[in-house]
Amino acid sequence: MAIDLAAAGIDQILANQKGLIAIGAGLAVGLAGLGSGLAEKDIGSAAVGAFTEKEELFGKGLILTVIPETIVIFGFVIAIMMII
Amino acid sequence: MLKPKQMSKVLVIGHKGMIEPTIETLHELHVMHIEEYSGGDHFKIGKPLAGAEQDSKKLLKLRSIASFLGLAKSYPSGPVNAERLSSELEEKLEALDSDVSEKLERKLSIEADLKDVETKIHEIEPFLGIPINFDLCRGYDSLHVFSGTVKKGMDLESKLRDITSEYLLFTNSTGIIILFIPIAYRTEVSDLLTECEFSEVRAPDISGTPDALQIDLGARRDSLVRDIESLASEVDSIKSQYKEFILASEEFLTIETQKKEAPLVFATSDHAFMIEGWVPDDEFETVRSRVEEVTDGRVYVTKIDGAVGGGNVGDCDDSNVPIEFDNPGIVKPFEAVMNLYARPRYHEIDPTAFVFIAFPLFYGLILGDIGYALILLAISLYGRSKLHGEGWNSLFTVLIYCNISTLFFGILYAEFLGFPLAGLPGHPGLIHGWDTIPLFAGLGGEHITYPIHRTHIVMTLLVLTLIIGVIHINLGLIAGFCNVSKMHGIKAAILEKVSWMVLQLGAVIMLLGATDIVSGILPMGAGILVLAVIMMIAGEGAVAVIELPSILSNVLSYSRLLAVGLSSIGIASAVNLMAGMLKDSGGLLIVVAAVVFILGHGINTALSVIAPGLHALRLQYVEFFGKFYEGGGRIYNPFGYKRIYTEE
Repeated sequence: MAIDLAAAGIDQILANQKGLIAIGAGLAVGLAGLGSGLAEKDIGSAAVGAFTEKEELFGKGLILTVIPETIVIFGFVIAIMMII
Repeated sequence: MLKPKQMSKVLVIGHKGMIEPTIETLHELHVMHIEEYSGGDHFKIGKPLAGAEQDSKKLLKLRSIASFLGLAKSYPSGPVNAERLSSELEEKLEALDSDVSEKLERKLSIEADLKDVETKIHEIEPFLGIPINFDLCRGYDSLHVFSGTVKKGMDLESKLRDITSEYLLFTNSTGIIILFIPIAYRTEVSDLLTECEFSEVRAPDISGTPDALQIDLGARRDSLVRDIESLASEVDSIKSQYKEFILASEEFLTIETQKKEAPLVFATSDHAFMIEGWVPDDEFETVRSRVEEVTDGRVYVTKIDGAVGGGNVGDCDDSNVPIEFDNPGIVKPFEAVMNLYARPRYHEIDPTAFVFIAFPLFYGLILGDIGYALILLAISLYGRSKLHGEGWNSLFTVLIYCNISTLFFGILYAEFLGFPLAGLPGHPGLIHGWDTIPLFAGLGGEHITYPIHRTHIVMTLLVLTLIIGVIHINLGLIAGFCNVSKMHGIKAAILEKVSWMVLQLGAVIMLLGATDIVSGILPMGAGILVLAVIMMIAGEGAVAVIELPSILSNVLSYSRLLAVGLSSIGIASAVNLMAGMLKDSGGLLIVVAAVVFILGHGINTALSVIAPGLHALRLQYVEFFGKFYEGGGRIYNPFGYKRIYTEE
């Protein structure tokens, strides 16, 4: 579906661009979130395993589990910068 | 604060005859962390005092009784006098034991009977409706009896008639047959039955008809179940009768065995004993004077100097020193947060006080909602008054601190369960007439207002959170500088920790230069950056270069202070929107709206503990502690017992 630029007028074009930016921002957070999730699922299960064997490892396990979370934060920062 | 309790290594030496009063005194003082003696050439490991074995036997008996009764530990109504308890312990324990073992035997026999009856009922079940006594199915010389199932829909009887007319066949609705035939036809009938897919179900070895038996056994089962119930109520009455006694005497016996078995970790010779351990510095004089007073000066208590390293800390191994936190009462609950990670080492900075400030601050910054703060404050205040025990107490106290901070930020943001309290032009707030007041300009064309609308000044808040991150991380680096300079000298500290600060300085100068805010300083920034990298490589080796990007990701990580908060607002306002739309539809949907509202905010309240809690915790553990904290200190576990159920 092609947009007739001349007929659409400047407002319509801007609105379309805004929509694309929103999709891009959504992808940035969503895909980064998937990445974090994929990494965390393995670390998390291993950490729970270690934690059941040795309770003192809770702190260390938690840290290792949340390390990949920074990935989604990067996604978030990018998304914010795109929207604004 | 900032340092664990200062410890001294202590040696207690005396004549063996004095061992009992010494143990008694040390136990009562409850300050000495005893080091286990593991054997050597001149000393032997001590033997338990007289009576230790009997006491542990009694303790074992008591614990098995407690587990049979299903006794849970509860808060005592009032402590029991230990001396009185000790005088009546033996007698009462015997009585309790005989009571309980009689009950236990009865319980076991009833349970065995019940199992037997249930098996029989199960066996009889298929035969229900067949009107013959099971006795008649056995013991013939001239007859053979088949009992079992055949394939449904087979015309067994007509086929049987082809073989013989001398038979007797019973069948019921479950498809069971009982077939009597003269023994002469056994093979032929057996072949016929195989054709009909016969599978044998043996008639139970009981006498009586199935239907009558079922009624009998059912009644018997019911009476056994009633017996078990009455037994359970008897056990309950024993439980409530003896509860205080059991809890108190368990504590009493634990203390007794602890004292009597203490010599197992002492070093002893033929005539003397020696105890090695750790005592907090400020308690040493008390320990010495008390022990010497009780034993008329016949036991010698002395400090071993240099055990924790006097001047030259770097050469001393501090991993042996037991660690006790030394924080003011208000900071204490956060020791639980530290224990989750690891206790500090002896020469390290104890960061509990930092966590005490930063953790609630971050939590409040993230959540910042008056509604959730009030709900969680109510829950945690109620929980703290109801649930006892050190762990719960710390948890709820930490939650209370966090939610006071949340309340503060909630007022700053003027948010209530996701609703803005103050209005913006065109958008009225929850409180009519409260309008947002513009204060000054923020970044990127945003306006800082009171109250702060977080969703409207995302860019400014993003930069603000990163600045908080830089401050927090540099605090960590300063703490790291103190730790390293104490352990390895000032030079190592500068190369390892100050280099990171120089790196940040270089980066900032470069940024200012590159964006032309201050022109012409780009090369200077680059120079400082290179200097920082050289310092790092000199301090930690070439591996440090791999670590370089971590400073960026660490700082960016603080943007979660904004991100998690926004997501919490998102959920809350989505719930509000849904509930509002349902409410506007009117009619029965108003009830649905209420359900959506309560359920949604209930879930978000639970998330409001988990998400900000975990993220605030992570910023402490990963970003902050990563800069300086090693941890791994031993837990200080002084010889003694905290009495709950008894008193001396």
